[in-house]
Amino acid sequence: MATLQLQHIVKSFGPTTVLKDVSLSVEDKEFVVFVGPSGCGKTTLLRIVAGLEIASEGSIIIDGKDVSDDHPIDRGISMVFQSYALYPHLSVFENIAFPLRVAKRPEEEIKGRINKAAAILQLEKHLNHKPGQLSGGQRQRVAIGRSIVRNPKVFLFDEPLSNLDAALRADMRVELSRLHKNLDTTMIYVTHDQVEAMTMADRLVVLNDGVVEQCGTPMDLYLHPRNKFVAGFIGHPKMNFLPAIVSRVEDRLLHVNLENGGIMSMPVSSEGMKAGDNVEVGIRPEHMRLDENGPVSMHVEVLERLGAHSVAYGKAEGEVAFCASLPGMAKIREGTSIKLNIKPEDPCIFDENGVALQRLGAPVLA
Amino acid sequence: MAHASENLLPYQGERSGSAQKKQGMLQGLMHSQATFAWVLIAPAALYLILVVAWPLAETIRLSFTNANIGGETYIGTANYEKLLSSRKFARTVYRTFYWMFLSVSFKIIFGLIGATLLNAAIPGRALFRMLVMPPWIVPVAIGCFGWLWLYNGHFGIVSGALQYLGILDGPFEFLAYRQSAFYSAVVTDVWVGLPMVTFFLLAAMQGVPRDLYEAAYVDGASRWYRFRRITVPQILPVIITMSILSIIWTFNSFEVIWILTEGGPRNATTTLIIDTYKMAIANFRFGQGAARAVIVVTLLSVFSLIYLFALHQIKKRFEAA
Repeated sequence: MATLQLQHIVKSFGPTTVLKDVSLSVEDKEFVVFVGPSGCGKTTLLRIVAGLEIASEGSIIIDGKDVSDDHPIDRGISMVFQSYALYPHLSVFENIAFPLRVAKRPEEEIKGRINKAAAILQLEKHLNHKPGQLSGGQRQRVAIGRSIVRNPKVFLFDEPLSNLDAALRADMRVELSRLHKNLDTTMIYVTHDQVEAMTMADRLVVLNDGVVEQCGTPMDLYLHPRNKFVAGFIGHPKMNFLPAIVSRVEDRLLHVNLENGGIMSMPVSSEGMKAGDNVEVGIRPEHMRLDENGPVSMHVEVLERLGAHSVAYGKAEGEVAFCASLPGMAKIREGTSIKLNIKPEDPCIFDENGVALQRLGAPVLA
Repeated sequence: MAHASENLLPYQGERSGSAQKKQGMLQGLMHSQATFAWVLIAPAALYLILVVAWPLAETIRLSFTNANIGGETYIGTANYEKLLSSRKFARTVYRTFYWMFLSVSFKIIFGLIGATLLNAAIPGRALFRMLVMPPWIVPVAIGCFGWLWLYNGHFGIVSGALQYLGILDGPFEFLAYRQSAFYSAVVTDVWVGLPMVTFFLLAAMQGVPRDLYEAAYVDGASRWYRFRRITVPQILPVIITMSILSIIWTFNSFEVIWILTEGGPRNATTTLIIDTYKMAIANFRFGQGAARAVIVVTLLSVFSLIYLFALHQIKKRFEAA
């Protein structure tokens, strides 16, 4: 049982405020990912939870107890660092044993706990090696092992996969998800990689410029982004944004004119909208399909053939950068113009302030 | 050799006539590479032969003679036999090692403490770092003259301060008594050598990744635990290197002792290097002085070998890590 509540966390470094009133709560056994671009404050937030930074304002509550002023060891957390932070002069065994030696645990208990952790992480053969003799993935596992042996209430991961190559990162993602299921504990994970975030999280916290933009399940954020930032950040390739003008407002339908005259009608909550308002239509590249009568015209500049699908990059509606993910065998060529269409229920609409209008026809995840 | 040289040449592309000619010239240069290397080495080699090898050979030769201001005669190993059976010389050797042990130990211990403090996030750290510099910047001779005044019984601040505090009843000449002169010389030698040790250890400490300390902090390790189990092992190669280099420098330390006490009072501060100088230059007994110099060279060679061995071990350890 380990819940975590962050209440009105503010953190300033001199005149710069990096976290502006962040509040959120993490349920027991939940895998929560803090995601956001570089400098958004996600690592600072994690370090505040760890006790490596002290919040300027606000409180951290673990299992109902305010630990804001407690030493990290008294908070019941353990942390895996981006650089792994392994002690190069100590063997794998001693690296994992480090927190237990600090706590002056008996030798028998240390051995028992390390053997158990080594078995979970498949490190049995490497216990006598030095970190320098291990591969990146193995070092990562040693760092995780050092966290496991302490039986913490909450695991904190600070971009732990960013130093690994792409293939190993994909493997470790699966391993970490499996580890979460096996250990059945609360985990908080920081990353700037939205693929990592989407694949691993029970719940995502999207941070931008020190503020929580949105919090929810990965698919929730993908389908119902609250604003333009979340819409652009979640999903790969990124969502396209086309400027448009509202032409007609119906009860549960909004009609817009694209800049080149294309007309689109979408089922969204049109409350407060009126004809003539400037909006932006958010279209995910994977929702596009070729259609000679489609409302969107695109000039293809670069085409990536990826086998299962082809990704076309270019300009739409004149000067707006645009990307479309089409079937692998799509009959298109670089340097040509194509017409694209989209189902009315797929796009998102953002008002002048970048806030999304509620989608009414979005699919529901069974 | 030719094969190796070919590998060293950059890719020449399609070989036209002129390119082939160029290739021939290059190969010619490669063939004469050995000669060219010798030409480059020659000035340095000549310098070493004149300034190191020849005087060393001459010293070894002299050590088997009774050379003095009046002439020299070959006397075999008599100088060495005399030294080895001399209780006075044995005491000098013992004193040298004791001097070295005390001075190096203090330099390393205070160096570690100083580097740790200078590495800590304390306000005015940059100022403290600058304040450590003077003993290093001030020429040793000038610094030692300063210490001469500090140790002066009537005008010196040390004697004055101790009297003020009631520890001394009256003026005390620190350099006038055997015990106090020896330890005073140690203090000055530590003062001279400390900044360099401190800065090298500080540089090493700054190279220890911050993450290691943070990981240990999260695991509940105290400041002392982190120092013992992270800082010390991480900077151990530099501690070893600085210890051995300090041993060599302290063993060779001449100006400090000579300016403060000239080896006195009653040989209390006469180390091997001072003894050698006094015998050969002050007493004009070149033969006996040379024998001492040979012993000094032998001991220094042993220290240097230990240093090279330690470097090799450190390199091996780091390659394994």
